[in-house]
Amino acid sequence: MFASPAFHPSQEIQAPIAPPCEADDLEFGELYEGNLSLLVAIAVRKFQVPEVDAEALAHEVFLSYLKRKNEIRQLHPWLIGAICHACRYFWRQNGRRTDQLDQELAMLRPDPDSINIFDLLPSQLAVREVLDALPPRYARILRMRYYEGYTIREIADDLGVTAKYTQKLVGKCLRMAEQMYNAAPARKKT
Amino acid sequence: MKHSDDLRHLAECASCRQRFAENVVPFDAARRRERALNFAAAAARLESERGETADIVARQLRDTPQDEWPRLAESKALRNNAALEQISEEVRRRLERNPTQALAVANLAAAIAETISASAYPPLVVAQIRSTALRDRANALRHLGRLDEAYDAIETAESRLNEFPAAVHDRATIWLVKAMILAQLDHFPEAEQMINAASVIFADVNDSTRFVQAGVVHGNLLARQQRYAEAENIFRDLLTVAASSGDGETQARLHNNLGYCYVNLDDCTRANIHFSQSIAKFTDLGSASEVARTERGAGVVLIGKGQYEAGCGHLRQARAAFTKLQMPEEAGLCALRIIEALVERGETGEARDVADTIIDEFTAAMLDKRAIDAVVRLRKSLDADGATAEAVRTVHAFVESLALDETPAS
Repeated sequence: MFASPAFHPSQEIQAPIAPPCEADDLEFGELYEGNLSLLVAIAVRKFQVPEVDAEALAHEVFLSYLKRKNEIRQLHPWLIGAICHACRYFWRQNGRRTDQLDQELAMLRPDPDSINIFDLLPSQLAVREVLDALPPRYARILRMRYYEGYTIREIADDLGVTAKYTQKLVGKCLRMAEQMYNAAPARKKT
Repeated sequence: MKHSDDLRHLAECASCRQRFAENVVPFDAARRRERALNFAAAAARLESERGETADIVARQLRDTPQDEWPRLAESKALRNNAALEQISEEVRRRLERNPTQALAVANLAAAIAETISASAYPPLVVAQIRSTALRDRANALRHLGRLDEAYDAIETAESRLNEFPAAVHDRATIWLVKAMILAQLDHFPEAEQMINAASVIFADVNDSTRFVQAGVVHGNLLARQQRYAEAENIFRDLLTVAASSGDGETQARLHNNLGYCYVNLDDCTRANIHFSQSIAKFTDLGSASEVARTERGAGVVLIGKGQYEAGCGHLRQARAAFTKLQMPEEAGLCALRIIEALVERGETGEARDVADTIIDEFTAAMLDKRAIDAVVRLRKSLDADGATAEAVRTVHAFVESLALDETPAS
C-alpha cells in the first residue's frame, strides 16, 4: 500500500540546480595554487598520508571538481570534504594491498632487526602498547617493518624517500619506541 | 569565533586555512608545476567544450528517428564531455515520463563514453565520464524494472572509479543509485548501508540536495519494511533541512510521505494535515498534476485504512483536478477507485452513477474503445449486483495498462 503511485520518491539523481559557485570568478590556476597546500596539509596531517600520495590525491580532487563544478555551491567545504574522503578511501585501498607476512617464512628468515626489537621488549603486548603511543607516522613505519615484513626499499618507495633516509628513519622510530618503553613507570620497576 | 584546526572550522575560516596550509613544502616543485598545468589544460578544455556545445544533443535527438539514435555515437559533435553532460540531462528528463526512451539515450551515452579516447582527458575525468554514463543506464534500467541488469550496470559504473580515491562525490552518487536498486531487489540491509555511506559524503561535501534525496530514499526504504516510525523521523528531519534551504518541491514531497507514515501509524488526523500541506505546497508551486496525484494517493491510502469519507473526499478532489487538466484517463482511474470504495460499502446505486459518468467522459474524450467497453461491462455487473471490489480493481488495472501503453514515445 505504501508504494502506491502517489508516494513521492526523491527527485531523480543528478541535481540540475546549479547556483553560482564562489569559484566561478576565479581562474582555475589560481584556484589550484591557492588551495593545493591546504589539501596536501589535510591529507598529511590529519590522515597521515605520505606527502607524495597526498599531492596526487589533492590533484585528483581538483580534477574531479572540474566535472562537478556546476553543482558545487561552496568551494571550500566541498574541497575539504572531498580530500577527507579521498584519504579514507586511499587507506582502505592501501590496507587491502598490504600482504600479510607469511608466519612460517618469517620464522625461517627472520629479519635481524625484528629479533633485536623482541629482545629489547619483553613481550609482543608491550610492543603493541608502545606502538599505539607513538606518533602515527612512526608507528606505521615500525608496523610495516616489523609486523608486515616490508623491506627498507619497499618502505622507502611507499614513503617516496630514499632507502638510506628510510634506514635512519627506522632507527629513529626504534629509539623513540625504546625511550617510551623505558619511560613507562610501571615497567621501570620490573 | 573560536579558531582551530577542526575541519569544519577550516571550511569556514580563511585565515585558519592559510595558517594550517603553511609549512607544507611541495615535495617536488617540477611535478607540482606539471600538475598545475595539467589541471589548467583540462579545465580550459572542459570549459571551452561546454561553451561550444550549446543545445546540440537536444537538436540531434529531435532531428533523428529514435531507432537511429545508436548511430549518433559516431557523431563527432557528441563525442566530448560537454555533449555527454547534456545527454545525461536528457536521460534524467525522460526517466519518469518515458523510461524506455531514457534507456535508449543512456545506451547512446554509454556507447560514446566507453569508446571515447582515453587520452582525451585526464584519466580521472575519463573515469567520471564513463561511470556517469553507466550510472544513467543503470537508472533507466531500474525504472524499467530490469533490476539485475541495472545492478550489473551500476557495479560496472562503480568499478570505473575504483582506481581514483578522489572521485568521492561521483562514488557517493553511484552508491545512492545502487541503494535504490538494492531496495527494489528487497536487499534492505545492503541498501541501507549504501545510503548511509553516501549520506555521510553528501553531508561532508555540503551537497544538501543529494543529502535530502538520500534521506528520502532511506525513509522510503524504511517504510517499505513497515518501519513507519523510523521513516517518519527521517522525513521530519529532512523537512527541516528542506525548509531551511527553501526547497518547496522537496517540502511538498516530504509532507506527502509523512502523510503516508501517519496513516500507517494510525494517526489519520496528522496524516490529513500533512497531505493538505503537501497539496498546498504543490499548489503554491503551480504543479497542478502533482496536486492531483497527491490527492489521489492520499485517497487510496486512507481508504486502504478504512477512512472512507476522508479517502473518497481526496479522490473526488483528484478527479476534479485531473478533469480540469484535461486528463480524462487519470480522472476515470480516480472514479474507479471511488467505485471500488462504494462497492466495498455496498453503495452500488452511487457506484452506478459514477460508472455512468466515466463512460460519458471516456466516450466524449474518444479514449480507447477497450477502456470504454471494460467500464460498460463493469456497469452491467453493477446493475446485476454482481460486481465485487476485486472486479473493479481488475477494470482499474486494465484501464491503467492501456493508458501506460499509450504514453507518447517522445
